[in-house]
Amino acid sequence: MTVEVTPQTFTFVSFDSAYILRIAQRLIGIFGLEDQNIRIDINETTPLGKMHVEFGDPIVINIQSGAFEDFSRPRQQSEPATTQSLGRILLKVSDRLSPEFADAPADEDLTLMQVAIWETYCVGRLSRHDIEINRQRWLYNFRNRHGFNDASDRAFEKIWNSDKLTWDQLQSISDTAVALAQ
Amino acid sequence: MRKFLPVEDLARDERFNQITMNDRMADQRTAITTDSRPSRAANRIVPSRADASDAARGLMHGIFVGEIQALEGAGRTCWDFTTGSEAPFELKLDMARQCWDEARHVEISCKLSDWMGSEIGEYAENTVLFQAACSNDPVLRLAGVNRALEGLAIDVFTTMKEFGEVAGDQYLEFAEDWMLADEVTHVKMGSDWLRKITENDPERRKKALDFQSVVDKLFSYGGTRSESQESPIGLARRFRELAGFDDQEIDVIADLSLAALEERKAAVLEAQAALN
Repeated sequence: MTVEVTPQTFTFVSFDSAYILRIAQRLIGIFGLEDQNIRIDINETTPLGKMHVEFGDPIVINIQSGAFEDFSRPRQQSEPATTQSLGRILLKVSDRLSPEFADAPADEDLTLMQVAIWETYCVGRLSRHDIEINRQRWLYNFRNRHGFNDASDRAFEKIWNSDKLTWDQLQSISDTAVALAQ
Repeated sequence: MRKFLPVEDLARDERFNQITMNDRMADQRTAITTDSRPSRAANRIVPSRADASDAARGLMHGIFVGEIQALEGAGRTCWDFTTGSEAPFELKLDMARQCWDEARHVEISCKLSDWMGSEIGEYAENTVLFQAACSNDPVLRLAGVNRALEGLAIDVFTTMKEFGEVAGDQYLEFAEDWMLADEVTHVKMGSDWLRKITENDPERRKKALDFQSVVDKLFSYGGTRSESQESPIGLARRFRELAGFDDQEIDVIADLSLAALEERKAAVLEAQAALN
């Protein structure tokens, strides 16, 4: 199966498509996605860092350049940011392809709270693959969506430390945190 | 000790990477959307934004490095000018008090960055703030730093305080509120000293206000700060009034900021047309 990165050369940013491809191939191997055709399209006209997946053949991952950028050196590529961003989105692809996430709403229908629980689930797993993750950054993101309280922090811990959750279980942890805080 | 330190000689450790306004202007990408639909066009840093946490972390780091440069600027004003002949003792006393405030702000911003999950040096340090503090006339420094730079700080702190309030982050809300109160005092100091020193020198006052206008325009670059929801940072009219800005002065900054936003949007459209 194939993995492709577009564009091959960049105008607005100093990114290396071969380097991105190597990182993607490594992560695809870790997450067992070798049987999928995947294309990674990078939008280099914006410094924002949004990512979006279109399922088909190939699976197309749209990524804005900010997701791979070193914020201390604008327009330069960051290896950790590239790894973390690709890791997060590829884990989401892996989840979406599994029956355990069949009930997950479409990306455009996810609430900000649902986005936060799924992101937490992804980065928690990434951190156990020897990929450097700033846990506090994601805790702050989770708190912003679930509240700054103990119930929210307990829910974060549970999701962060889990490897085999279904969408319904994720949603249930989130719902419980919100209910306890009220 | 050396007087009139150039921006290139600011002391920083290896965690920091400094960029200039030219570096920023060289980035042809833009976060400003040309989509006119309200849901797409709002860039204000509020918790309901999808990337709210990351946007707030970036702004917090900007505040942190801004506080360092404000400390350095006020400190230089205490040292660079001869007491009496070039700058009144009481003005230097105010600048010393401001240094005390800014040093506290650096510590608060550093702790808030930890709290939000950022690391020192994670974002580039734009040195434009200190550059505004390099004039060889103390009155121009008051205009550029205390009125333009600290005026921007009022807008930024108000945006962050409101972010904390809506998100339920009490640490952020209270810390920003306390720092905001200090910034209002700093702007007031600048306004008061500018009027006092140039009372009988209209030409010098005009020169200082022109310089402030230039700095305000620099800080409005790309429409980062304006009354439009398309700008990440709002213009805090009420707190600016408390700091000694009159309605006309605030209107001028509002117009300037909006013009910068429109200018940037036009440039984006042009760049996109060239691409297509």
